[in-house]
Order: sequence, then C-alpha cells, then structure tokens
Amino acid sequence: MKSFSLLNNFLYVLFTIIVSLIYLPILVMIVFSFNSSKYQIMPFRNFTTSWYQRVLTDSQYIEGLTNSLIVSISVSFFATLLAFFCAYSLVNSNFKGKSFLNIFFLTPLVVPLILIGISLRFYLTSRGYEPSLFLVAIGQSIFVMPLAILNLSNRMSQIPKNLEEAAWSLGSSRLRSMFEIILPSCKFSLIATFILTFTFAFDEFIIAYFLTNFSITLPIKIWTSLVTGFDPAINAIGTIVFLTSLTLGLISQILFLKK
Amino acid sequence: MTFFFIFPIFHTLRLSFLDPNTGVFTFNNYFAFFSKDIFYDSFFRTLKLSFFVISFSVILAFPLAYFICFVVKKKFRTLALLILVAPFWTSFTIRAFSWQLILSDKGLVTWFINKVTGYEIKLNFLYTMNASIFGLTLFGVMLITLLLFNSMITIDKRLLEANSDLGGNKFTEIKNIILPLSLPGLIIGSVLTFIIAVGDYAVPTLLGGGFKPVLAQLMLSTIKGTFDLNTAATMAILLVIIIIIACIPLLSLIKQVRLEK
Repeated sequence: MKSFSLLNNFLYVLFTIIVSLIYLPILVMIVFSFNSSKYQIMPFRNFTTSWYQRVLTDSQYIEGLTNSLIVSISVSFFATLLAFFCAYSLVNSNFKGKSFLNIFFLTPLVVPLILIGISLRFYLTSRGYEPSLFLVAIGQSIFVMPLAILNLSNRMSQIPKNLEEAAWSLGSSRLRSMFEIILPSCKFSLIATFILTFTFAFDEFIIAYFLTNFSITLPIKIWTSLVTGFDPAINAIGTIVFLTSLTLGLISQILFLKK
Repeated sequence: MTFFFIFPIFHTLRLSFLDPNTGVFTFNNYFAFFSKDIFYDSFFRTLKLSFFVISFSVILAFPLAYFICFVVKKKFRTLALLILVAPFWTSFTIRAFSWQLILSDKGLVTWFINKVTGYEIKLNFLYTMNASIFGLTLFGVMLITLLLFNSMITIDKRLLEANSDLGGNKFTEIKNIILPLSLPGLIIGSVLTFIIAVGDYAVPTLLGGGFKPVLAQLMLSTIKGTFDLNTAATMAILLVIIIIIACIPLLSLIKQVRLEK
C-alpha cells in the first residue's frame, strides 16, 4: 500500500507542476498589464490601468479588433451553417463513398495551418485574387470546418432516427423535418459550435498573416508589435482576449453538456 | 472544400516542380534545397524538434491522464481536466511571448534567483532550440492528455479489479490494461502534436530565435523576403511529405478499428 500512495503523491506533484507551468505565463501577462514601467523587467513599479486605456483608444488596435470581429463572426457563421448540412448528410444518409467523405472532411485537421495559408495564397494569387480579409475568412473556414462537423455530427448521431421517420410518414417533407426536428434538438450544439469556431478563428494568426496585405487582424497587429519592439499594451490586450475567450469557451462547454 | 483546399495543395505541388526563371518542369528545386546547408539543416532541425516535443509530451501526458482518470475523485475529474485544457482558448502567441519575459537573461527567473541567492546568473535558455522544445511540449502535453483521457475513461473498471484479484500489481495494470487500451488516444494525440510542432511558426520565432530557423520560418522569410515562390513551394511540399509519413500510424489505426467492427 505504501508504494501506491507514493505513486499518487508523485502524480499530484507532477500535475501541480504542469498546471503551474501552463498558467505561469498567463499570470505574468496579467500582472504586467497593470505595471506602469515601459520595460518588461522586474521590479514591478506602480499599479496602472493606462495600458488598457491605450488599447481602447489606439486606432490601429481598434481597426485590428474590428477586422478580427468581422472575419471571425462571418467565419463561424458560415462554417457552422455549412457544417450543419455536411453533418446532416453524413449522419442521416447512406451513399457510396460516405466513409471516404467522412475522412476527407477531417483532413484539414492534419494539415498545419501554415500550409493551408501558404498554398491558398499561391493558388488564389495565381488566379488573380488580391490578398484581403475575404481570403482570410475563406482560409480560416477551411481550418475550423472539421471541428464544427465533428461537434455537430456527434450531436446529430444521438438524435433518435425514428423521430424523423415518424415525421416523414406523417407527410412532412425532408426539409421541414430537418428544420422542425433536427434543428431544435441541435440548438445548443449549434451555439456551442458557433462560439468554438469563433474563438479559434479570432485567435488564428498564421493563415491570416499569409492571406491579407494591408487590412490587418488583431493577432497580426499583436504579432507585429511583438517582433518590432515591445509595446506593453500587448499584455493588456492579451488579458482582455484571454478572459473573453475563457468565458466563451466555458459557455460553449456548458452548452455541449446541456445538449 | 475541394476548391479551396485540394486545388491549392496541388497548385503548390506543381509550383515546386517549376523552374523559377523559365517555368519548365524540373526537379532542380528539390536538389537545390538539399544542397544548401541552411535549408538542409533546417529540415533536420524541424524533424529533431518535433521528435523531442512528442517524446516529452507523451512521457508527461501519460501519467497526467492516468492521474486525472484513476486517481482524482470522480467529482473533481472534469474540473481537473478543465484546468489543464482551459488555456487552449488563450492566444498561443501571447503565451509564448510571456515565456520570453520569464526566461530571458533579464527575465523573472534570473531576477528571482538574484533576489534569493544574490547570484547573478545567465540562463542562456531563450533563443535556443531547447526553448522551442519547452514551449511546444507544454502545448503537446495539454493536447495528448485530453485525448488520452478520452480513451482511458472508457476502460472498463472491472478489468482493473480483475488484475488485482489475480495478483497483478500497478505495473502489470498499466502494461497489460491501460497502455494497450489507451493506445488509440496516444497515437492520435502524438500525430496531432507532431503536425503542430512541425508546422509551427510562432513558438520557434519567439522562443527559438531567428538564427537557427525551422522550415516554417524559412518558408515565411522566403515568401516575404525574396518572393521565391518555387523554393517556398518546395519547402511546403516537403512538409506535406513529412506529415503524410507521420499519418501512417493513424491510417493503420483506422484499419484496425474497421477490422474489429
């Protein structure tokens, strides 16, 4: 019995160490976002909220934020919508090549984002499209689609098939049964998928970096400030983004559990 | 999907076989890639980096998943898992940057050691490959633990009881029951971690520095710097090849699942 508890103690310690390593940078970021010093070195000077004010008044950050919001909301909207139909046909119908299509829809998951970005840029610029926010939205949709399809088909496969069959035998059309049976029972999953794809698209940096030239998104703005001389306002943005995505993420998790 | 995902990849494949000046079909881009030291080195540096990241992530994630699944009380299980994976929703870039603040030679760690012991030390850790490995491993641990946990939680507890009834110990329990039954999660997690490590740009740049670039960094600087699309396409295709090779265990896993059905 002794060796057993020894092992458990070791595991407790390991868990604590890993968790603190994961949270240490986040903690440092939050603490420094209130530090009045312009340089990111100890000791901590005075408490200030001026970095937050800077962020909320700086036109470049505001522009990045608006662009990011526009792109990620349209990405999550279209990805969720498309994923809903894909998941519906994957779950509810049997056709030749279904399992192939199933794997095909998930392939973007195993392709690094940098490859999605780079090859889309090559391809679309050779077709005469200029890099723009619209292309960013396309690229990011490719990247979030597999997640959305996985989530939704997971939920849909739990809906009893005979509900829909009952509707059909009572004379309802396929479209109507989809809207009146499947859609309401996927309600929470749909919202959760929307939030999930939104947070992923909002945070995504490398695809956006390749696919836009002049109109930048927030992650690109953060990145450029990081590489070209540091701006302490980034800690403030990081904190805001962290808290928002954490809240959204928790909400989407709760919605998934609720079904 | 076909239009925006498959076509671009094939277009890149085609680009990688075209001569940058004349536009004739050629293998020269690939020969040129492996004949230049900087490219050649970065290719193997990328592989080495990903290899270490996976190894460390698996070594750390396995006990963690075991801990959450079998040691933590049922009430706190979801909470423990949530604590571990919640930072998935934070910007990866900013987290990597925070590590810069902590690990740099004027960072928190040296400051702290100086305060406590009075010694001035240099860490010499930031801007090395070890720092990249460190940053990506933390990410890999989160991902693999999550997937391993999903596999482990489905293990029938009666198997564990049978093991101890028949005189088995912790070691046989892990070796004969938990490891084989959680293998799918382990494989999927490792492959995904590998893919992220191989293609990541932010962590190698912020923690690894620019002097010893990995493939992703070279690719980006080639495109934004010299506009040599064909060379960049060559690198992209090499990356695809690495990934296809990495996915082989995944495919055999799918086959196995099908056979069992």
